[in-house]
Amino acid sequence: MNDTAMNPVGEMPDPSRRKFLNTAALAGLAGAGLSVGLSACNKETPPAAPAAPAPAAAPAAAHGNSPHLAPGELDTYYGLWSGGHTGDFRVLGLPSGRELHRVPCFVPDALVGWGITNESKAVMGTKPDGSLRYTVADTHHTHASYKDGNYDGRYAWINDKINSRIARIRLDYFICDKITELPNVQGFHGIFPDKRDPVDPAINYTTRVFCGAEFHIPLPNDGRDLESPEKYRTLFSCVDAETMEVRWQVLIDGNCDLAASSYDGKLAATNQYNTEGGFHYEGMMSAERDSCLFFNIARIEQAVKDGKFTTYGTSKVPVVDGTKAANTDPKTALTAYVSVPKNPHGVNASPDGKYFICAGKLSPTATVIELAKVLEWFDGNLPELDKAIVAEVEIGLGPLHTAFDGRGNAYTTLFLDSQIVKWNVDAAIKFHAGDKAAQYVVDRLDVHYQPGHINASQSETMFADGKWLAVGCKFSKDRFLPVGPLHAETEQLVDISGDKMRLVADHPVRPEPHDFIIFKRELLSPKQVYTLDEFPNATKDMKEAGVFREGKKVTVRITSQAPAFEPREFKLKVGDEVTVILTNLDKVEDLTHGFAIPKYNVNFICNPQETKSVTFKADKPGVFWCYCTHFCHALHLEMRSRMIVEA
Amino acid sequence: MNPLSALRRLAVAALFATTALLSAPVLAEQGAYEAPLPAGINTDAELCIHVPCGEVVPGADSFSPRKGKPAYVEAYRSEGGQKTLVGYAFLSTDIVDIPAYSGKPVITLIGMDTKGIITGTKILRHSEPILLLGIPESVLTKFIRQYLGKFVGDKIEIGKAREGEAMIGLDAITGATVTVIAQNQVIMRSGVAIARQVGILKVEPKPAIRFAAVNDKLGWDQLVAEGSVRRLTVRPEQLGMPRADQPYIDMYYGFLNTPSVGRSLLGDDGYNSLMSRLKPTDNAIFIVANGTDSFKGSGFVRGGIYDRVQVAQDMDAYTFRDLDYLNLWGLKAAGAPAYKESAIFIIRDPGFSAAYPWNLVFLANKLDRETGHRDFVSFSDEYWVPARYMEGGRPAVIKPDAPWVKVWKARALEIALFSTLLIVVAIVYAKRDALTRRSTRKNKWPVNAFKYTAWIISIGFVGFGLLAQPSITQVLTWFHSLLFKWEWELFLTDPFIFLFWIFIIVTTFVWGRGLFCGWLCPFGSLSELLYKVGKAIGLGRFQFALPMKWHNRLKWVKYAAFFVLLAVSMFSMGLAEKLAEIEPFKTTYLVGLFNRSWPYTLFAASLLGLSIFMERPFCKYLCPLGGALAMPSTFRWFGLRRKQECSSCKACAVGCGSLAIDEHGRIDHRECMHCLDCMVLYTDEHACPPLAQERKRRLKADLPLTPIGKDGYYMPIKKVIPIKPVPVTKA
Repeated sequence: MNDTAMNPVGEMPDPSRRKFLNTAALAGLAGAGLSVGLSACNKETPPAAPAAPAPAAAPAAAHGNSPHLAPGELDTYYGLWSGGHTGDFRVLGLPSGRELHRVPCFVPDALVGWGITNESKAVMGTKPDGSLRYTVADTHHTHASYKDGNYDGRYAWINDKINSRIARIRLDYFICDKITELPNVQGFHGIFPDKRDPVDPAINYTTRVFCGAEFHIPLPNDGRDLESPEKYRTLFSCVDAETMEVRWQVLIDGNCDLAASSYDGKLAATNQYNTEGGFHYEGMMSAERDSCLFFNIARIEQAVKDGKFTTYGTSKVPVVDGTKAANTDPKTALTAYVSVPKNPHGVNASPDGKYFICAGKLSPTATVIELAKVLEWFDGNLPELDKAIVAEVEIGLGPLHTAFDGRGNAYTTLFLDSQIVKWNVDAAIKFHAGDKAAQYVVDRLDVHYQPGHINASQSETMFADGKWLAVGCKFSKDRFLPVGPLHAETEQLVDISGDKMRLVADHPVRPEPHDFIIFKRELLSPKQVYTLDEFPNATKDMKEAGVFREGKKVTVRITSQAPAFEPREFKLKVGDEVTVILTNLDKVEDLTHGFAIPKYNVNFICNPQETKSVTFKADKPGVFWCYCTHFCHALHLEMRSRMIVEA
Repeated sequence: MNPLSALRRLAVAALFATTALLSAPVLAEQGAYEAPLPAGINTDAELCIHVPCGEVVPGADSFSPRKGKPAYVEAYRSEGGQKTLVGYAFLSTDIVDIPAYSGKPVITLIGMDTKGIITGTKILRHSEPILLLGIPESVLTKFIRQYLGKFVGDKIEIGKAREGEAMIGLDAITGATVTVIAQNQVIMRSGVAIARQVGILKVEPKPAIRFAAVNDKLGWDQLVAEGSVRRLTVRPEQLGMPRADQPYIDMYYGFLNTPSVGRSLLGDDGYNSLMSRLKPTDNAIFIVANGTDSFKGSGFVRGGIYDRVQVAQDMDAYTFRDLDYLNLWGLKAAGAPAYKESAIFIIRDPGFSAAYPWNLVFLANKLDRETGHRDFVSFSDEYWVPARYMEGGRPAVIKPDAPWVKVWKARALEIALFSTLLIVVAIVYAKRDALTRRSTRKNKWPVNAFKYTAWIISIGFVGFGLLAQPSITQVLTWFHSLLFKWEWELFLTDPFIFLFWIFIIVTTFVWGRGLFCGWLCPFGSLSELLYKVGKAIGLGRFQFALPMKWHNRLKWVKYAAFFVLLAVSMFSMGLAEKLAEIEPFKTTYLVGLFNRSWPYTLFAASLLGLSIFMERPFCKYLCPLGGALAMPSTFRWFGLRRKQECSSCKACAVGCGSLAIDEHGRIDHRECMHCLDCMVLYTDEHACPPLAQERKRRLKADLPLTPIGKDGYYMPIKKVIPIKPVPVTKA
């Protein structure tokens, strides 16, 4: 058992609140069983200290950064945010916290017509009758593509936990261009791109995205083994970054939660909170230690190449065997199960490329795993895999996720303590090695309330700059004007440029973002307008606009140029199967037009030089004023086209 | 533009438009707003069956099919079965794709003769909402009519011509600057493109810049010092606004493609990222600015064109569209200033070469305080990549002389003659004692020969020949220049006036204004010459002078005239210039007596007519320039001489044509015309009463007549060697 004595540096949580959390909040959340999990914490150790002063009232230090921008001043960082069960992908400017964009991907969006246009439907996936296959999603994690250890501005990926889908967002246009459904998994949660190829040094950029599934299900899930939960399994998946096809999957013991990848491209990992394979929470938290499961990417791909795989059901995706039983010899093992205390949540790679850090959730500890040692084990040179754990130290109650400042410090959210703890990784390693004088806890900060994810500027790259820390607090309670029972979440911004953390802003966000990344604005080069040639169905000249009929199939080619659509009226017959193709010929930046057809439930927008189409059945006779819904011109209200449907 | 006010205007205009449509549909059809164009206009080889080519190339009766790339048609005139090429017609949209305010082009038909002179412009269709509402379309028609007769190879820009630069300024349309900037580019670029194609303009494409292998990392101050970063500042007073501590705009700018400069300013990553976004022929500049206003403004929002900054090189102006804009994320060079606004602009036209000098041009509105009108003005600063960054250094560039240099070169001979005249007159006057001693009251020719010669040269050569008549308006201009901005170029463009004023200023402070007024002023010379001629031809008995009492009152009028003009000019230079017509100079010399409307002619003729009977009536009582010069004459260095008896003797005063000698015998140097009559008297032993008295005394006493000294007395008789100075007063 590891030494998990508390490190009493810094302001320890107010014991009275801890007591409250223990007895009330925790009990309410997790039931009596949870107290067993918390027993590892030495409750008597911390001497009672006065509660930390309210951070909002803390005087602004003379040093540090200001999150307040003058009118016209631009943010210095982009933030890419997941949207939770709104199913969207959000773009924020930081440090201001202003939301700049929501990119629809998994679920329909009335503004842009996502799920309305034929193009978006093709990305989202449809049933044979043309209707959308899914209209709900739950996005948790988004991460962007890498090159040389930094973001390269090509793509971001985001998961849908409900329907096990992964979407790719192009970061030049900020649109979703592909969605892939993972076969034979449920509860697809963790996601992480690789950072380079494990074998080919020329591939110094992202080519794979790793996806972990939480829920155990029968394989294949076609009605078999319904009542035999012990036979349920989960898979770890690898998706090709370019084609978005699933390259391979790994059958594992236990489940997957979050994912991480190493900077050298050799390892991916997922933390496992249900190594027990429990199907009720008591079962899932019965073991004192769960795992951080490592994948040897090169070996897995070699195994796939060598044909050492199976497939499940109708899926053609090769599945290799990563179970403990099949990987007993380190020298051939595809996987390595490093033990981590009790239901860990979060696995994060340190910017120096050396460590993965797992947070204990139900254990007050953070576990530091040295990647070099894991590789040593794979080479057969480390006798005992758990020797790769170089630190396992107590940091506070309910540790979840960890971010880095590039100066050797880690910042971990403490869900139950409602705090962030700043701790020094090297000091923790020394402490773990026996130097009890090493003070690894540097600072603590109250946040409001109950933080989940955390991330710092550039934290997931080799260029962590230690400027800003954002904390996704799951409860806002009294932090904003009340708007009824449903509360906004609080995204809090912390200045971490100094020794002490400084809470500088509260940003309300519509529920409910989970993970996010923050990076320098210079890393993206978004395009200002589209080009006509990108769309094979574009109408490049307004003279080519008009109605083209082939029997019942009618194509209406429409162009828009403020303040007019061309043609200004078009005639259809009841029963026609109509496809409207709109090309926005305006070239001016930001001159987006909308196109709505009353009573036909159609609305979508068309950005400058973009082409979009909708298909519908003309089933109602009459006059229908198609009009521009996106403000465009002084004559915006006059910008219409008359759709005449003859009976 | 404020969207609300735009909407309000729109609503009102829409109301008007509707009314107009209902009542006079014919009128509405005549406008070019969204005018329907014939179907084949863009594609049909026979352009001129669709559009009125004949209207833009007057005299042409047949036209070729579309030819060339970009397309144009040749215009012919048939005479006796012989077809002569008389010009070219072309459609703007065949050549350039420059959207105007509406985001759509103003489709313009342009005609040009075989020498590249624009012969006609016609707007076939435009979509400018501002011209549909608010501003009548005729204003645009009037605007493009300004191009008629202009050579496409000239630098024609919107706004007042900049001093010191060879460009032709056009009047803008207030409230539609984006439209006119776009339209200027449409017409000039189309014209230049066709003129180049048909060989009217010979242009070799400028070779692109080739960078030398220099890769320094420089600090901000070094970049500024070597000229890689330059500054263009416009102060509020330059735009007719009150002076303020903060400049209106204070821009630093530079060329980013230069590796050292780009890397120093953007950092390596920023530079590489920018270059990866540029095509090989693209060129990027940056601007950062402080000041009370913005170089971006909001004009670019609708039409996508930035209407406050552009880059000019030779005849070409490069404007930036919104798609040519990139964010400047920051300046990495050490010591870079803080700024409130920034941009990276991309010049995408391959015609631009950074190897050659170019100008950053800032366009602004200047408020005319008098009328409240806004004029378009531009300010520019030249940029040239430092030689060390270019392989082989800077290419040779022949720059046209500044206009003032051209003038000085072209009129070198006249300038030399004129300078000689000024110098000779100054020397003659400096040596006046020699002439006055040779003269007597009866015979003043030693003085007058020079003076009359000066008058005649002044009237003929300086006045009618060189049109170099100094005027009060120049004094007013100086006052304004001193208050606002002194521009040497402005004064140097007229070399004669420039030299004349040097002469005037120097001689006024040395001797008083009389030398200029009495000897060299073209109008004054004419005026007094008329008086002298009048006397010579026997009109002397009709000649008169005002009684001293009235003279002493009326002489103040010219000072009043000066101060009124000066005061008025503070509020309105235009009105002051009109009031300066109190000077008959323009009528007499610059325009000519018979070329002006009768009130002016009558005024000048009356003054000249009066001059026959009265010595210099205008100079004495009205001339505001004389008034202005009279005041500093108070401080002249060398005055005319007086002797003690002058205080009681009236001999000089009686003969003083300028009425400049008062009852105490004092000469008022503010009024004196330096005719030197009193100085002739001063040494005339027959005419000067004290001298005559002494002469008679000595003759009676049989004493010798010693020479007359500088003090105007006979030199003391040297028989008695004085131990102490002899009191000369009682000689």
